[in-house]
Amino acid sequence: MFVHIRNLAFKYPNAKDNTINDFNLTIDQGEIISILGESGSGKSTILRLIAGLDMPTNGNIMVGDHCMCSNSTFTQPEKRGVGMVFQDYALFPHMTVEDNIKFGLQKWSRKDKKNRVGEVLELVNLEDYRKRYPFELSGGQQQRVALARALAPKPKLLLFDEPFSNLDADLQIRIREELRRIIKSTGVTSIFVTHDQDDSQALADRIVVLREGEVAQIGTAQEILGTDCNFADRMPVKPRVLSRV
Amino acid sequence: MKWFRSLKTTMNLWTVLSVIFVLLVLLPNLSIIVQFFAEPNENWLHIREYMLQNYIQNTLILVFFVGILTLFIGTSLAWIISAYDFPMRRFFQWGMILPLAIPPYIGAYTYHGILNYTGVIQTSLRNQFDVTVNQQYFNIMNMPGAIFILTIFLFPYVYTITKAFLARQSTALVENARILGSSSWRIYFRVVLPISRAAIIAGVSLVILEVLNDYGVVSYYGIQTFTTAIFQTWFGMGDLQSAVKLSGTLMVIVLGILVIERIARGRRQFSFTTTKVKLLQPVKLEGPKKWYAFGFCMFIFSIGFIIPVIQLIYWATMTYEQFFSIDFWQLIWNSVSVAFIASTIIVVMAVVISNFARLNRGMLAKTFPKITILGYSIPGAVIAVGVVTLFTALDRQLFGFYEWLGLEPTLLISTSLFMLVFAYVIRYLAVGYNSIESGFDRIGTNFTEASRMLGMSVTKSFFKVDMKLIRGAIFGGFILAFIDIMKELPLTLILRPFNFDTLATKAYQYAVDEMIQQAAIPSIFIILVSGIAIYVFHHVLEKE
Repeated sequence: MFVHIRNLAFKYPNAKDNTINDFNLTIDQGEIISILGESGSGKSTILRLIAGLDMPTNGNIMVGDHCMCSNSTFTQPEKRGVGMVFQDYALFPHMTVEDNIKFGLQKWSRKDKKNRVGEVLELVNLEDYRKRYPFELSGGQQQRVALARALAPKPKLLLFDEPFSNLDADLQIRIREELRRIIKSTGVTSIFVTHDQDDSQALADRIVVLREGEVAQIGTAQEILGTDCNFADRMPVKPRVLSRV
Repeated sequence: MKWFRSLKTTMNLWTVLSVIFVLLVLLPNLSIIVQFFAEPNENWLHIREYMLQNYIQNTLILVFFVGILTLFIGTSLAWIISAYDFPMRRFFQWGMILPLAIPPYIGAYTYHGILNYTGVIQTSLRNQFDVTVNQQYFNIMNMPGAIFILTIFLFPYVYTITKAFLARQSTALVENARILGSSSWRIYFRVVLPISRAAIIAGVSLVILEVLNDYGVVSYYGIQTFTTAIFQTWFGMGDLQSAVKLSGTLMVIVLGILVIERIARGRRQFSFTTTKVKLLQPVKLEGPKKWYAFGFCMFIFSIGFIIPVIQLIYWATMTYEQFFSIDFWQLIWNSVSVAFIASTIIVVMAVVISNFARLNRGMLAKTFPKITILGYSIPGAVIAVGVVTLFTALDRQLFGFYEWLGLEPTLLISTSLFMLVFAYVIRYLAVGYNSIESGFDRIGTNFTEASRMLGMSVTKSFFKVDMKLIRGAIFGGFILAFIDIMKELPLTLILRPFNFDTLATKAYQYAVDEMIQQAAIPSIFIILVSGIAIYVFHHVLEKE
C-alpha cells in the first residue's frame, strides 16, 4: 500500500461534531482515487488533512514510508512532497506561466529547472504559453497550468480539489479525459474530490463515497455507480446532490 | 502529546513575534489598570469630590451633541450624494472627506481668529460699515463653539462609512421604495436610516472616540474634560498617580461606549463587501431642487474646508518668510522622520499579527486582532500616561545596567524619542492593521497554501507571494498611519523630548501664545499633506 490513512478524525474549533469521523483508506501506487460526496460531507477537509493544511484531531497518514501525521508527529505541508491543484487553481497572478511552474523547483539547478518546465508544459500542451500571465489564459488553460505546476516537482501524491467546478460542461468532458491520460502517463498516485459522479466515473480507478464525514462505500466505478444510466436507485449517494443523474 | 504536537506545529517566527507585539500593545494599558487600583492620594480625593463630576458632565455633553450632529450631517450628505445627481456632485463625493484633513485644533484657532475682535468679520464690520457687534455673539471659545468645531471637522467619518454602505448595499431596497412611490424624505427616514444603522453607528463611534481623544480644541477653548484634566493633574500638579486614575476612569467610559456600540449594532455587522454589487444609480435633480442639494453641500464644504483654508492662506501670506527659516525645515524633518519611523514599525507589526491571525485557528488568532485595534479606541492622553508609567518603571529597573555601561544613571528611555515612537505605534497600529487585514482578506489563503504545497515555508511564501499581492494595502496602511501621526497632538505634547517640536505641536503652541498668524504655515503644511493623501486614496479606491 502506498497511501495508508487510518482512523482519521477532524473537528473545527467551534464545531459541535466531528467533520471527519474514523476515515480509513488505503491506496496503491499509481492509483487514481475519487472522493465523491455532497457539499459539506467533508471531502475537501480530507484533502486538506492529507496535504497538511489542517491538523487532524486523531489518526495517522502514511505516504510511502513516511509518516505524515500521527498523534505525536506532524509534517508541515512544504515538507510532505505532496502536490495539489486547487479549486480556483491559485495561480500566482504576478508571475508568468513559466515562473508559476518554476516556483516549486527552487532547489533544482537552472538547467534542470528549464528542462522540467519544458517537459511539463509539453505534457499539458501549453509550450507556447510560457510567457503569458494567468489572466491572459482561458479557464481550461489555467487549469492545465495548475496541473503542470503541481506535477513539476514530481510529487509522491497529487491532490485535486473539485478540479472541474470552474469549467463549462463541454470543456469539462474533454479535460477530464485528458487529465486521466496525463496522470496515468506520469504514474503519480492521485486523489481528487468531486460532487459529480460523471467525473468520478470518467477519472477514477476507485471511488470513495463520503457521507457526513464517514466512508459510506468504497469500490470501482462499476461497483458503486453501475454502467447503465439507471443507477440512481442503487446508489448510496443521495441523487439530489449528484449533478447529472 | 497532541497538545505538544499542536504547539510545535504552530510555534514559528510569526507566532513568537505576534505574541511579543501584542504584549507590547497590552503593557501600557495594563500598567494603568494595575495602578488604577492603587491607594488614592489627597489630590485624587479632591478631584473626585469636587471636579470629576464636572469632567464627566462636560465630556458627555460634547460626546452627545457632536455625536448627534455628525450623525445628521454625515448621513444626510451621504444620502444626497449617493442618491441624487446635481451640480458638482462628483467633486463633493470626495470633497466632503476633505474637512478631515484639517485637525480640529487647527480649525479651532482658525475660527477663533476669524470671529474674534481683530478677526476678518468684526474688522470688516467696523471699518466698512461702522458696526460694532456684541462680543457675546461672536465668542466661539465655549461649549457650543467646541461642539461646532468638532462636528464640522469630524462628520466625514460618518459620511464616508455611510456613503460606502449606501452606494454598495442599499440599491435593491432603495429602488424598491422608489418604485412603491415613496417620497425622498420618506425613503431617507423609513429606509435609509434603519438599513444603514450599523454603518452609521460605526461612523458615530469613530467620531466619539475622536472627541474623547481631543485635547487641542477643548484646552484652547478652556473646556474642562477628561483629557485636559489629565494634562493639568500631571503637569500642573505634578501628580502622575491621579492622572492614572483619571485615565482609568476615561478607559471605563471608552469601554462603555464600545459595549453600547456592540449592543446598538446588534447582530448586523457592518462590512465593506468586495463581491460584485450593483451600485445605486443617482436620480437627476431638476429645477430648484438641484440648487437646494448643491447649496446644502456647498455650505457644509465651505465651513468645513474653504473658509478655514482661505483664512490660513491669508495668514500665511503675512508670515511666509518663516517658510524659509531653518527652524521650519527642522520642524518638517522632525514630523516626517518620527512619522516615517513609527509608520514603518506599525506596518511591520500589522503584517506580522495579521498574517499570524489569518493562517491560524484558535483563541490567540481570534483575540490578537481585537487587542491590536485596542489602542485606537483609547485616547492619546491615556496612552501617554500608560507609556510614561511603563517606561519610568523600566528605567528604574535598568538603573544598575546604565551604571554598568558607564552611563550617567538617569531616566534614559523615558526621556527619549523612543518613548514617543512607541506611543504612536500603540495608538495608530489599528490604522495600519485594518488596511493590511483587508488586503489579506481580498487575496484569501489559497495563494499561501498553494505556495506551501510547492515547498515554501510560511515566511518564504509571505515574501515571494503574499507581500507582492498586498503591497497596495501595505502602502495604504503606511500612508494612513503616517498622516495620522503627522497630525497627532496630545501624545506628542506629553511625550516629546525636551526641545523637540513637530509641525502639530508648534502650530498649537503658536496659537496658544496668541501668535495665530505664525501657526498658519505649519498648519497649511499638515492640511496639504493630508489633503493630497485623501485625494489619492479616493481616486485609487474608486478605481479598485
